[in-house]
Amino acid sequence: MSSTRSLMRFMRRSGQLPVHDFLAPALFAPNRRCLSSTAQKGAAQAQDASANSNAQKPKRKPLTKEQREFLSSALRVNQAGELAATLIYTAQTPPMVNAHPHLRPLMRHMYEQEAGHLDTFNSLIAKHRVRPTALYPVWSVLATGLGWGTAVLGREAAMACTEAVETEIGTHYNEQIRALLEMFQQWEAEGYEVGDELRELVGTLRRIRDEELEHLDHAVEHDARKAEPHWLLTGVIRAGCRGAIWASERI
Amino acid sequence: MAPSRALAGLLAAGRRAPQAAGAGAHSSRFVLPRTYHSYDHPPPPGVFNAAEKAILSAAYAHVPEHGFTQHALSLGARDAGYLDISTSLLPAGPFSLIKYHLVTKREALAPKSAGIFGGPAAAQAQAVPVEAKVERLTWERLQENRDVIHRWQEALAIMAQPSLVPASLHELALLADEIYHLSGDKSVDPSWYTKRASLSTIYASAELFMTNDRSPGFGETQAFLQRRLKESSGVGAVLGNVAQWVSFTAAAGVNVLRSKGARI
Repeated sequence: MSSTRSLMRFMRRSGQLPVHDFLAPALFAPNRRCLSSTAQKGAAQAQDASANSNAQKPKRKPLTKEQREFLSSALRVNQAGELAATLIYTAQTPPMVNAHPHLRPLMRHMYEQEAGHLDTFNSLIAKHRVRPTALYPVWSVLATGLGWGTAVLGREAAMACTEAVETEIGTHYNEQIRALLEMFQQWEAEGYEVGDELRELVGTLRRIRDEELEHLDHAVEHDARKAEPHWLLTGVIRAGCRGAIWASERI
Repeated sequence: MAPSRALAGLLAAGRRAPQAAGAGAHSSRFVLPRTYHSYDHPPPPGVFNAAEKAILSAAYAHVPEHGFTQHALSLGARDAGYLDISTSLLPAGPFSLIKYHLVTKREALAPKSAGIFGGPAAAQAQAVPVEAKVERLTWERLQENRDVIHRWQEALAIMAQPSLVPASLHELALLADEIYHLSGDKSVDPSWYTKRASLSTIYASAELFMTNDRSPGFGETQAFLQRRLKESSGVGAVLGNVAQWVSFTAAAGVNVLRSKGARI
């Protein structure tokens, strides 16, 4: 191992760097392919692979100001979103369960997953010293109102609300994951390695996105499409979500 | 729309990255207090580059005698082996000297806090409540002013110039955030803002008090700081209790209505 390292050092000194640079993307390509699987195991393999290549490329690039701002706003908006989701389910549960007791396990399952996501982002925000959104009280009131209002309108309306929210959130997580993967790709093309921290973040985002999309499926299974008028409800809620995402990324 | 713009910004950032490293020193002044703090990527370049740091650290030694002035800067440049004219590297003039003081003293807090709360006493430090840590660290930071405290009113006057107020407040916000981070505060709700805002106010007023404090070891400043922190935690506790009572009563009211058969 140490002999390969000294060989690498020699190559770098003796000016054969271009070959090394040229090979770098090929070395890293398998990692990327592993990462595109959602399973935790895939991510773990990718981490092992990157750990093996540590010897050759110990260099990590400092995050630029734009990248740090992107990560801050991403974590901030995710925390705000999960807070809102938790509150929506909290407010929906009593009227819904009152009218349709058979939905109790489903509501509890969805609430527990959202509460888990909120914990994840709360700890990430505290760990990475990201400012929480200043509109926190506004989102709390609006989300509670939205959840309670749709639940009072009936089961279909509540499910349509879930459908609309989870559609927007799923798209939003996908955009974040795509942006992060492009960041990784650029680093790898330049010959830098990606830290475990950000790889784990992508893994977390993937897991959470899949769970959110699972909620979307549950909502559609439970007659979300039968809400009257479906297009108006989902249209308004989705526009509201986009507005909230836009604002939370900034404020 | 918004995420795609963020994405475009990110890509552009990657392309600009090499030349941005040098130019970033001054442009970072007006960013919002906090951005993502990474644990496994190297930290971004510091506020000052090597030449600026050399001049400023030499000039800082002249501050007790000559104050936060252009004169101290020229003396510092001469000491560091630069021409007098090289102080034009620092367009903000005396303010960069003030900023140097603020930044270096803030950055010195992290190792100091590791010394106080880390080491063999680490297990014990876990038990120290966040408020006590905040008080200790704020006091440590105030004590860092002792060498320049007789010049600090001039510095406050410079910092209060309208064009410099945003940068000064930014530094204050960074200090409050640093103290709460080092104290292990994990709040991620609106109290994040209220805690930092009240600590910033308390710190600024304690600093002002300190400029007129002639007591040995600044004992009166310490007492002042302790009183202010106690008051603010008292107000915080009252507000917290009121909020808890209101939410409990509201929830109980809703549940009573539900038990009466109201469909809410």
